[in-house]
Amino acid sequence: MDASDAAAVLARAQQGDGEAFRVLMERHSRRAFQLAFRMTRNEQDAEDVVQESFLRAYRQLGRFESRANFATWLHRIVANCAVDVMRTRHAKQQRVSEPLDETAPLPAGAPDPQRLAESTEVRRRVDEALAGLSPLERAAFALRHHEGRSIEEIGRTLGLGTSASKHAVFRAVKKLRIALNRYA
Amino acid sequence: MRTMHYTEDELILYYYGEHRRRVRVEQHLADCAPCRERYQGLAASLALVADPEIPERGDQYGLEVWQRIRHQLPEQEAPWWAVWTRPHRLALAGAAAALVLAAFIAGRTWPGGEAPVQPTVAVAPEPEIGADAGARVRLAAIGDHLEQSERVLLDFVNAYGTADQPADVSSQQLGAADLISANRLYRDASTAAGDETVAAVLDELERNLLEIVHGPATLTPKDLEQIRLRLDAAALLFRVRVLSEQMRERELDVPIARKTI
Repeated sequence: MDASDAAAVLARAQQGDGEAFRVLMERHSRRAFQLAFRMTRNEQDAEDVVQESFLRAYRQLGRFESRANFATWLHRIVANCAVDVMRTRHAKQQRVSEPLDETAPLPAGAPDPQRLAESTEVRRRVDEALAGLSPLERAAFALRHHEGRSIEEIGRTLGLGTSASKHAVFRAVKKLRIALNRYA
Repeated sequence: MRTMHYTEDELILYYYGEHRRRVRVEQHLADCAPCRERYQGLAASLALVADPEIPERGDQYGLEVWQRIRHQLPEQEAPWWAVWTRPHRLALAGAAAALVLAAFIAGRTWPGGEAPVQPTVAVAPEPEIGADAGARVRLAAIGDHLEQSERVLLDFVNAYGTADQPADVSSQQLGAADLISANRLYRDASTAAGDETVAAVLDELERNLLEIVHGPATLTPKDLEQIRLRLDAAALLFRVRVLSEQMRERELDVPIARKTI
């Protein structure tokens, strides 16, 4: 779909054309799911985020400025939906998993960083560590570390000032380091 | 002379390519063994956090999601300017214009110092604004206000400081001060409309905004942690976010059975 086709589809969607919105969804859904999964690290949560994001996008489409980039706008909606879902889980969740034994050493004899990262134990530690972050810290970290977004873009996406988004990333990294037993 | 070393935060920025003095940091790391070791430790930790294995979604995924949501599509929110094209708004705008014109003509007609007794231009009676339209306006305004308040609160709780350099929250204080009078207005309007749940959240929000405004302009890490704990205990940010979403939904579906949060 070229730029003029995309603009035409968007304009029709903004007029309430459901079929045009379907075309937008087909174009952007997979990317939305990837972002949602990177942030929530849970497949079902990511599905919920994608659905809710497109519902919000449809509702707010009338307020979308056509000059802006639709993918960037949708990206913000997905990120904020993911934060909402994580907050809901964070508020409700009883921690049933065993507490992380931070004194246990990480596997030795795996000098290759890539292999080390892929090992089951490390992945488990990373997941546990990420679960210990606040929803905002997880969101900021995922956007910085996995999505490669700048601090400024993270702030715009999450509705934070630059300082706030920077420090959310800092806190996330420090907590991760402590949990991964590498903090000097 | 004391040797300057980079902080953990600066090394994190450098790791992600966001340090403004990248070349200087590079040179320092080449020369300073302790900083180099710290950076290598940081890099090794972050290298462990690999991109998660994202479950595959095929070419039909978008269509599948569409099928799940197509029957739940909400009513689209009108663009901001479309609010003024609704019939009662046009009539109101017309009446307002007529009043302004009447005041202008009256000012020109009557000699200075004498109050006009009766405008000479017939003024259209102010149209009745239905309860539904009034509720919709109120809900939209409160929704916008809650979104702004959430941003100010987030900016405040995420401020960062150290023992040597406490966080400067003066700009956040200005943001909070801007919101207080509007918050009072919306709280009173919600009470008048019988919307006690909304009024209660706005009441608590106002207390927190006032504390921000009247608190110190610089905060130590300990102060910030106490504030975060207090806000977390009250779940205020969560309630503001949820209420903001509910305002949007209610605006589209007036009247609606009130939900509790």
